[in-house]
Amino acid sequence: MKKNFLTYVFLTVAAVLTLAPYLLSVQTSLKTPQQFAQQSPLAPPSPLSGHSYAELVVGEHTLVPPLVITLQVVIVIVIGELVCLALAAYAFARLRFPGRDLLFWVYLATLMVPFVAIMVPRFAMLSELGLRDTFWGIVLPAMFGSPYTVFLLREFFRAIPEDLLDAARLDGAGHLRALWHVVLPLSRPILSTLLIITAVTRWNDFLWPLIITSGERWRVLTAEPVQRQLDARHGRDHSGHPAAAGALRDLPEAHRPIHHHHRNEVRPS
Amino acid sequence: MSPRVPGAGRPRRDTLTGYAFVGPSLIGVVGFLLVPVIVVIGISLFRWDLVSPARFLGLDNYRVILTDPAFGRSLLVTALFVLLVVPVEIALGLFLAVLLHRRLPGSVAFRVIFALPWISAPLALGVVWKWIFDPSDGALNALTGHRVEWLSSPALALPSVAAVSIWMHVGYVALFYLAGLAGIPEQYHEAARIDGASSRQALWRITLPLLRPTTFFVLTTNVITTVQTFDTVYAMTQGGPAGRTDVVASLIYKEAFTSFRMGRAASMSVVLFVLLVAVTLAQQQYFRQRITYEIG
Repeated sequence: MKKNFLTYVFLTVAAVLTLAPYLLSVQTSLKTPQQFAQQSPLAPPSPLSGHSYAELVVGEHTLVPPLVITLQVVIVIVIGELVCLALAAYAFARLRFPGRDLLFWVYLATLMVPFVAIMVPRFAMLSELGLRDTFWGIVLPAMFGSPYTVFLLREFFRAIPEDLLDAARLDGAGHLRALWHVVLPLSRPILSTLLIITAVTRWNDFLWPLIITSGERWRVLTAEPVQRQLDARHGRDHSGHPAAAGALRDLPEAHRPIHHHHRNEVRPS
Repeated sequence: MSPRVPGAGRPRRDTLTGYAFVGPSLIGVVGFLLVPVIVVIGISLFRWDLVSPARFLGLDNYRVILTDPAFGRSLLVTALFVLLVVPVEIALGLFLAVLLHRRLPGSVAFRVIFALPWISAPLALGVVWKWIFDPSDGALNALTGHRVEWLSSPALALPSVAAVSIWMHVGYVALFYLAGLAGIPEQYHEAARIDGASSRQALWRITLPLLRPTTFFVLTTNVITTVQTFDTVYAMTQGGPAGRTDVVASLIYKEAFTSFRMGRAASMSVVLFVLLVAVTLAQQQYFRQRITYEIG
């Protein structure tokens, strides 16, 4: 089967390319700092060292606090999001109320609002509320869910046979009970998909926490590696950051280090 | 709810429950999506550095950014980035999906591997790739034995970041196409075989046309997310060298949060928003004419 052979060849090449950066990271994480500094990045670790991992737990720049913060952020957002999402999707799929279709149209329209275009006003609004550099500043904008997930779940709820809900209602169940006892158990596959999607998205989120927090107090996990890389580089040389040259070229030279050190630390009056 | 026609077969209304159920989610949609769209337009009319009081400028910010070479270049860089990334990731994703769809033994393992970059943090992947691309300590140059300045050469920086972005998203695209392929009834292919179509003909004449709804979804969502790329660029180049990778998200971020020109950043946001809506509507228009669910 030449065709099967070729399929495997292509799939294997793609898998190797996909995995290589992960394997390289794992291999490097097991090296001693000396070996990392002296030998080729491709050399296998010898001796094997758990030094880097020990540093992450008990070292000076431990990862434990950011890990705890990130877990709290993810859990609060995911719970809030799933509750709001299930209620809204049920209402749009199963309830009749004036303005429903107009509201749903609004939801569909907001699907087109890109985050990048509204990060400045969100920052301004949450600053006005005094939530800059707070836990709720990170969490609040996301915990009511997104129109995208409402849209997906509504489609799913609509496909549930009306008879099942009628039966529940005949038995005297209100909408909340019908949702909890009939609709949600039937929707486990899509709910677990949405759970994974929202949890992964929030775990990986970087830009919003970067904007709304400053300093170490509420630093999330994703902000750690880049902060370390910047700190490490800043000690050695600046040439790696012509980054600012474009947008900041008309700023006084003195302002440039802001980007490395005092990000977001200007406070309004 | 309406006492005038009790039980006269009118559809029941659940006004109170309806609003109570939609309420929490609506707070999010109105408070954190709709209101910001209005506020961003407001901010774009002011000069505001977060410290001193905002000063009304009218449309001045727009005049400034539309003549600012950095913004023009940034839009161009973003467009180029999307053109480098999206077609390639769709083609490769479709290719992988077709291979996975053959369901040879081990396909599930490959699917899991290809999903990995999608569930990893883009920021962390960017940091790893930056180190792989490093001219002196990087794995790539160690592998090839040549010293190539992947991220600081003006010609190579954008393609390098684009390659990483493609690497991150191919598996995700493949999973969507895999779902699309699973939705095509087997009879269509059987009928084609009986009529003597080769497997290549079946791919071009049956599979691809029937995948148009998937392509539409993947294309529109990937254009929107790729236009907003920030994490990868921030981790790898921070917009450099000399603005060659300064995508619009990166520029807006720097205007707002390192230069503290909130008004200008807001006006850039508005322009980006308008452009993105236009692109999305254009794609919708294009596909609406072409999506067919029958074989014609």
